Amino acid sequence: MDMSLFLVQLLNGVQYGLLLFLIASGLTLVFGVMGILNLAHGSMYMIGAYLVYYFATVTDNFLFAVIIACLIAMILGIVIERFLIVHLYKRDHLDQVLLTVGLIFIFNAAQSFIWGNDPLGVQVPSLLSSSIQITDIVEYPVYRLFVSVLCVAIAVAMYYIINNTKLGMMIRAGESNREMVENLGVNIGKLFTIVFAVGVTLSALAGIVSAPIVSLVPGMGERVLISCFVVVVIGGMGSIKGAFVAALLVGIVDTFASVLLPGMSSMTVYLLMAIILIFKPQGLFKS
Amino acid sequence: MSVFSTKAEKIFIFAFFFIALGIPLFFNENTFYVNKISSMLILSIFVMSLDYLVGRTGLISLGHAMFYGLGGYLFAIMLPEYEVVNFWLYTFYVMTASAVIAFVVGLIVLRTSGIYMIMITLALAQMTFYFFADSTEYGGLDGLFIYLKPETSIFGLNFLDLDNEIHFYYLCLLSLFNCYLFCKISLNSRFGRVIDAIKENPDRALALGYNIFHFRLIAYVLSSSLAAYAGYLFSLQYGFVNPTMMSWEVSASALVMAILGGLGTIFGAILGVFVYESLHYAIEHMTQYWMFWMGSLIIVMVLTLKSGIAGLVEQFVTGKRK
Repeated sequence: MDMSLFLVQLLNGVQYGLLLFLIASGLTLVFGVMGILNLAHGSMYMIGAYLVYYFATVTDNFLFAVIIACLIAMILGIVIERFLIVHLYKRDHLDQVLLTVGLIFIFNAAQSFIWGNDPLGVQVPSLLSSSIQITDIVEYPVYRLFVSVLCVAIAVAMYYIINNTKLGMMIRAGESNREMVENLGVNIGKLFTIVFAVGVTLSALAGIVSAPIVSLVPGMGERVLISCFVVVVIGGMGSIKGAFVAALLVGIVDTFASVLLPGMSSMTVYLLMAIILIFKPQGLFKS
Repeated sequence: MSVFSTKAEKIFIFAFFFIALGIPLFFNENTFYVNKISSMLILSIFVMSLDYLVGRTGLISLGHAMFYGLGGYLFAIMLPEYEVVNFWLYTFYVMTASAVIAFVVGLIVLRTSGIYMIMITLALAQMTFYFFADSTEYGGLDGLFIYLKPETSIFGLNFLDLDNEIHFYYLCLLSLFNCYLFCKISLNSRFGRVIDAIKENPDRALALGYNIFHFRLIAYVLSSSLAAYAGYLFSLQYGFVNPTMMSWEVSASALVMAILGGLGTIFGAILGVFVYESLHYAIEHMTQYWMFWMGSLIIVMVLTLKSGIAGLVEQFVTGKRK
């Protein structure tokens, strides 16, 4: 592997890792603050991708489609939290698993009902469709760079919000002691709704921005959900910092494995997870 | 102590096996329904093994289909290509091999519990899924075919012909009955009581001097081998194995069936499978978007039905509401 090809693979790995971070951070945030394991998190990724496909083809305006898709995802998040998840706070993990599996079934049925089962694709917006020359023969698409930059910007914004604002303070407090926050007069119900809506919107946003670089197929949500689990298990459940490190690790390992070990690439990240678990059962950054 | 925990269970088990014995006579000409019920009996063994793990041991696995699939694959891989093998001998091989795998997997998985275990079992099952789906040696997504069904002679006696659907039905019924007895007897034993204690309060069980990890590992290996046996029967019924057997949907729906039936009741697994599969079959006939209705049903079930159908049967028999 020469230097420029290595650089392209590294960029791909980082970009994939950053996207995984976007999804995993939502999952881990919801778990950390609310104690809810949302298996339908991957479905929101899928819904985001399909929504942006729909609005981009209807309106022919990618930016507009992105905004509308984000809004719909957020509203879906609020509705799901207010009507379904709200019954689960006092229940055990098993009920959470069941209810969110039920949601996956419904989302999958909705997807196949509205958009069918054939693979679909979204055009890269014309503003970002060019490529950067790395060497004479190797070039790298601008859109992928844009995705990485956007993900980094969101990560920085999240870091700022969690560490420097009142909302962030309540989130941190909710993570360490839920009952105490409630007793101090914080409206915990409202906080949970906000966190859940933000969590699923992050996942949907990942689906939205990756729609032009992947093909939209049924089951794309579950695939992402499982990669996301690997990230969260490696990073430590509930830790956003852990999710960031683990997502980059998984993204880079997965990308290089598919180049260097094509026969067993899909197994590599799981092996990585098993090895890390043997030494650190609680993940790298225990929260 | 009786095998049955409650009166409702006793009535259900007698009624179920009595009716099940007569089913092939009822559908004499039509083997389609006999086959359908055979597959539900096989699924009942699988769900029962999951109930043993989740309902009684308190370890939530979202990757139990891994062993269901492995049972089928281990058989298909060990099977010599042009040779009729002995059913009982291969039952022993398959279950031993899967017990060894379950032991190693258990060493990793049981280091965690709760939410972590849910995610790790799912991830490991997916890993196995992709291992078989990507492998050219084991047929990739198409899987492997089993061309010759095993013969079933034991000590020179040969009374079962696996190519005969009715015979196969009775083999499944016998297997389910044995599986039920095994689960109940082991749970009523001293071992079972320690398992219950660990589920109720791990710290106290630890303080009483029990090695929690060992007991959990034994329960995990037992449950996984039973699941593998169910997968082995599946491969015999359909004559093939493929990676879909261990997809996450299989694990998740098995969990739904166990809960629908009534978690921790063991006999509830049979109820859960028959109700879920009948509904699935009926809805699938009416609409291709059956997943929507199944999903809604699951959500309603979680929000309203606390102790499964077994709880309803209990109420019906004892006549009082909880």
